[in-house]
Amino acid sequence: MQVFVDAVGSRRVVARLVSLTVASGLIGFAAVVGGTLLEVW
Amino acid sequence: MKRPPRLHWVSILLGLLVLISVVSFHAHTAIRPEPVQHAREHRELPERTLALAFHGGPDPKWTPRLLTALREINVKATFFVIGTQVTRNPEVTRRIADEGHQIAIDGFRAEGDHGDALNLAFAQAALADALGVHTRLVGAPVEVDSGDRDHQDIGTLVRMSLQHGRGVVRLHDDGSIGADIARELARAPGYRFVTVTDDRPVEATATQRFTGAVTTWSQRNGGIVLMLLGTAIAIAALLGLLRTLMQLGLAHTDRRLRREAAQSPPPWITPPVSVIIPAYNEALNIAATVRSIAANNHCADVEVIVVDDGSTDGTGDRAEELGLPGVTVLRQANQGKPAALNTGIRKAKHDVLVLLDGDTIFEPDTIGELVQPFADEQVGAVSGNAKVGNRTGLLGRWQHLEYCAGSNLDRQILHALRCIPTVPGAVGAFRKSALTDVGGISDHTLAEDTDLTMAVTRAGWRVAYRQQAKAWTEAPSTVPGLFRQRYRWSYGTFQSMWKHRGALLENGPMGRFGLIYLLAFHLLLPLLAPLMDLYVVYGFLVADAPLGFVVWTVFLLLQTASAGYALRLDGESLKPLWAYPLQQIVYRQLMYAVVIQSLITALHGTQLRWMKVRRTGLLADAPGGTVHVT
Repeated sequence: MQVFVDAVGSRRVVARLVSLTVASGLIGFAAVVGGTLLEVW
Repeated sequence: MKRPPRLHWVSILLGLLVLISVVSFHAHTAIRPEPVQHAREHRELPERTLALAFHGGPDPKWTPRLLTALREINVKATFFVIGTQVTRNPEVTRRIADEGHQIAIDGFRAEGDHGDALNLAFAQAALADALGVHTRLVGAPVEVDSGDRDHQDIGTLVRMSLQHGRGVVRLHDDGSIGADIARELARAPGYRFVTVTDDRPVEATATQRFTGAVTTWSQRNGGIVLMLLGTAIAIAALLGLLRTLMQLGLAHTDRRLRREAAQSPPPWITPPVSVIIPAYNEALNIAATVRSIAANNHCADVEVIVVDDGSTDGTGDRAEELGLPGVTVLRQANQGKPAALNTGIRKAKHDVLVLLDGDTIFEPDTIGELVQPFADEQVGAVSGNAKVGNRTGLLGRWQHLEYCAGSNLDRQILHALRCIPTVPGAVGAFRKSALTDVGGISDHTLAEDTDLTMAVTRAGWRVAYRQQAKAWTEAPSTVPGLFRQRYRWSYGTFQSMWKHRGALLENGPMGRFGLIYLLAFHLLLPLLAPLMDLYVVYGFLVADAPLGFVVWTVFLLLQTASAGYALRLDGESLKPLWAYPLQQIVYRQLMYAVVIQSLITALHGTQLRWMKVRRTGLLADAPGGTVHVT
């Protein structure tokens, strides 16, 4: 078994969830702030 | 192979965008442009009616005094506020609204700074955060100038304010005189006071208030973010400087020691050697590789074992067709490079093993040079000098420079520190007993060469570097190919570091220097260095702060000098050095991306396999590739 490899898959699921949450949070954040400023602009 | 994770790139790019936006916004708010007055429409007021319009605030000292005065004289005024001042003094702004005065926008950073609609948006955001409202009244109408910016005499100011007997009077609340004029005007007989318009503020939506909170936070804390960014950049700069100094200092020492050793060289040894070439789909290069080995001038038996690891392009056949004496071709189902190497090691009949990739060309004296450090019984492995064979094009030149200025110079430092972490798969030699000590080649990592070298060092063997043992290897000729190769190397190195993390607690040089060196310069530095690029761009384009660019340029000059020195040490021409500054764009960022991708893959626990580099077969043009068996 290679080093770091997640045999069970749970770490991969958690990592993907974290990744998805962070990415969608940032996209939402950028959309809200950027959108609001552009709207006034 | 499972698809490697990619979503993090969206987060990283957006994160960097947010970071640069925060510091840029902070820098934007710190600039105070000259006040301007825009030509506005005329507001017709009845005779003996004044609208007091205060500009330049809210001010933490003078606006509250003015508000007290206005309350005493029972006058409602209009405050044309400045966005950045609202953020600095939200309590004062709230008091203006709470006491029934009209709030209007005069600009974002100074009076009249709303000509650019983005500044108007920022000013509205500041109001949304402080008061939870937006205002429709932007910019004052045509005003009667009270002269409070030019005159001090209260009588003059009152006369000027009342010169038309009505109208919007331009006053300022960022100084002491505003309250005094208001009191005097209130005493003028027969005058009534109104606000500029009857418009009421509009309730801000939740997203507008959120945006206001974000811009407010950025204005207040952008400095802290900038300081943190500066700290990260300082660490990166120090690490980079330290590495360059170590490279120059230790490589110079190493060079001096070699020169001294060359004056009274140890006896030339000629042990019989087994050469093992694991190959998977190397049909384009294998003939040149085997020919170059067979053309060696080593004065002892050289056995060549080609292990065809389930190739589908006839690699084994190409090697066999050569019909060279002493060359054996073994075939096995595809099991990966470590298994192929182990097969070759088991079949090898000699005690000194030379391992090389199927895309590598040896010079005639490479084997003879490579085995010389084995004269020292403590040496268990020897790294040769891998060089880029295909140096045409910018990518080839960059890799050539990196091999010389990065890898080989690193290897000389680590040789001096006795903790070379990698005997490259392209050119390395091992004692069979050292390999037996560590249980052969492990398949625990994607960088089996690094894993093996660390294991050999931890087992108590010394690892040496023989600069004269040159091997020419085919470097990837496309950017995606380069990314794949480096991704495997970087990820494999991290795997090896993690696997051998126990060395940190051991007494050997691998833990004391090797792992710390890799951690500092192969993980921390590439992770921090992009911030330096970001800061240079920010300083240059946004903040008018050329210091970052100056530091970056000095750094580049130092590194170019270091690269030039490395080329000289390696006996190479200095001509390709012109491509070095260009390496800072695209190539360096690609290397950062490789490290980040590797780290994320490690966190995800995704299984990667041996990623093959697409071969061109151009390696026969390399210096060693032209040799022929006679």
